[in-house]
Amino acid sequence: MKKTILTLVITMLAALATAQNAKVPENITIKTLDGKTVETSIIQNNGKPIIISFWATWCKPCNRELNAIKEVYEEWQEETGVKLVAISIDDTRSASKVKPHVDGNGWEYEVYLDQNQDFKRAMNVVNVPHTFLLNGKGEIVWQHTSYVDGSEEELFELVKKIANGEEI
Amino acid sequence: MSRKAIKLVAIALILNFQFSIINSLQAQGILGGHVTGNIQFDGQISRRDSVIGSDNVPEKLLSNARADILYTNGNFSAGLRYEAYLNPLLGFNSQYTGQGIANYFVSYKTQTFAVTAGHFYEQFGNGMTLRAYEDRFLGIDNAIRGLNVTYRPWNGVTLKGLVGQQRYYWDTRGLVRGLDAEISLNDIVSNWNESKTRLTLGGSFVSKYEGDETILSDISGYKLNLPLNVGAASVRMDLAHGGFGLQAEYARKGQDPSIMNNYIYKNGEALWLSASYSQKGLSANIQAKRVDNMGFKSVRSVSGEMLYINYTPSITKQHTYAFLSMYPYATQSTGEMGLQCDFIYKFKKESLFGGKYGTDIHLNASLITGLDTTVIGGKGTDGYTSSFFGTGDTYYGDISLEVAKKLSNKVKCTATYGYMIFNPIVEGHEGDIHHNHILVGDVTWKINRKNVIRFEAEWMASDSKYDAAIDDKRAGDWIMGLVEYNFTSNWFVSFSDQYAYNDGIGNYYNISIGYTKGATRLQVGYGKQREGIICIGGVCRQVPASNGLTFSLTTSF
Repeated sequence: MKKTILTLVITMLAALATAQNAKVPENITIKTLDGKTVETSIIQNNGKPIIISFWATWCKPCNRELNAIKEVYEEWQEETGVKLVAISIDDTRSASKVKPHVDGNGWEYEVYLDQNQDFKRAMNVVNVPHTFLLNGKGEIVWQHTSYVDGSEEELFELVKKIANGEEI
Repeated sequence: MSRKAIKLVAIALILNFQFSIINSLQAQGILGGHVTGNIQFDGQISRRDSVIGSDNVPEKLLSNARADILYTNGNFSAGLRYEAYLNPLLGFNSQYTGQGIANYFVSYKTQTFAVTAGHFYEQFGNGMTLRAYEDRFLGIDNAIRGLNVTYRPWNGVTLKGLVGQQRYYWDTRGLVRGLDAEISLNDIVSNWNESKTRLTLGGSFVSKYEGDETILSDISGYKLNLPLNVGAASVRMDLAHGGFGLQAEYARKGQDPSIMNNYIYKNGEALWLSASYSQKGLSANIQAKRVDNMGFKSVRSVSGEMLYINYTPSITKQHTYAFLSMYPYATQSTGEMGLQCDFIYKFKKESLFGGKYGTDIHLNASLITGLDTTVIGGKGTDGYTSSFFGTGDTYYGDISLEVAKKLSNKVKCTATYGYMIFNPIVEGHEGDIHHNHILVGDVTWKINRKNVIRFEAEWMASDSKYDAAIDDKRAGDWIMGLVEYNFTSNWFVSFSDQYAYNDGIGNYYNISIGYTKGATRLQVGYGKQREGIICIGGVCRQVPASNGLTFSLTTSF
């Protein structure tokens, strides 16, 4: 019986969904680094591409990725207008270290806290790092889990295509 | 026609009906929305090995699987999760055995109002009174099944209310009710809007109900008069001014005799403080914590990690190198004091210590002790008294210094030294405190864009010795090596070996191959592995102990 219900629900959901690219949910509650509650609709970039990166202070590959992009972020922004939004999934154990961590590493990204992991769940993030690329319309056009040194160059190739309005 | 055939026809008819309704609604532009989800599968084919303590696994193949499906349409969302543990991986509670729909919800959310019915996760403040959360790789899921409402009457004011029962493997138990209020003063005081100082205040109240049962007191053999309703409350603040930050929360809990505190009637109490300063390239953070009899569960007779209503996290650093995380510290909710300091500094490029690319320094230290207590009785009494500032036995301490340096465009190095003290009493064993010195070297060599090699070497010298009676397989002096080769930006292969060269037992070798494309990741490993956080192939995740073949698949869509 349970299986039957499951089948019904899944087929119904599949039929409900339309084929266009998924967007980032706009009504999930996250926090700024100084404690202000905001909604995910705050993630905007005036029609330019956006990178959303889920990370944690304790995650070594995440830190390598964000440090590597830091070196080239200014060039990326000048060339494509891209904005990187870093979503920390740290819980109470390390959430209060996020702001010191971000400043100490000299990151100039827009950073938000997702302590209750509502945003992480809504975006189906399983492992960190998990990176999403959004086009100017806010549609998710690419996503990737894991970071290996140098893969930020590949990400930038995609950002450039998106900024030029090409399909990827 | 057989029953089965009738059932199939019925399903087909219903499906057909569903599709036609949906199609017509979609044609009218009423429906839309998106289906997203993720799937995870982890399997182990085990080999028996008494040396590393993996038990004989009669079923040979163990597996955990799960699929989340989310449907979102504007303000509306709904989700369903299927889980299967056939049978659960080593380290997961055998009560998970089985399969079925473990989680479902519907939710409607606008800027001022949100309601969720079904399973939900929630956290009040820092979680000291309530935190329903899950960690799929640890087998923890404290989801509440019930009703959760959030209301924002004015900008800057958030009110939350919830009622429900907590997940207990395949069942729900207890009854939890909670209220939380948070006020952002900058948003409600008109001329504070532009202020550089931000102040947020909050408070919460959580209550649980559980029916009566017979528990006998130690001395007289009388039945204990158990409180059926137990409340916990907290107040908190978050102050930020430029680079300065100060956060605090204080929580109290009423009389809550339970198996965790041996049925004593003392009130619970917890205090957490965090202060930090940061500017570009420099930051410092200090945290202090005192927890006294603050374990809060929805069922008084259940021990273990399920059914916790609140969360009092460890404030020690979450290490990810194997030997630094070999003795992880878990909060003693019955009572502890803790202090933690964290310091990050960046030597600028072209400075004396910075060199061509700059140098990063990360220093962290923490110390956790028990409380200074005086026992006054057993079951049915207040149990003990404790002095607020007094400290008891040392439970855990560590200090670590990490220096990261980019040598060239191709080579990056990190060197870490750590010193750690660990009292086996926190894991429930008597014994001498261990003292460990740890060194870690980590070098990444980017040969070119498609080929990256990472080397890791670790060494741990410990005064602990392997003792067959205690059977702690982490004891002794260890060395470890790891090589990880990433190629074509999708594939990686890694080989690692941990070997006890003195006073210990065991040789943990592991070879792993992985493939990542987009949000899909497949990994196959062979060897012996301890449980803990492993960071290879570009991601970090918690893995269970295993011996033999392991495979893991995760994907999001």
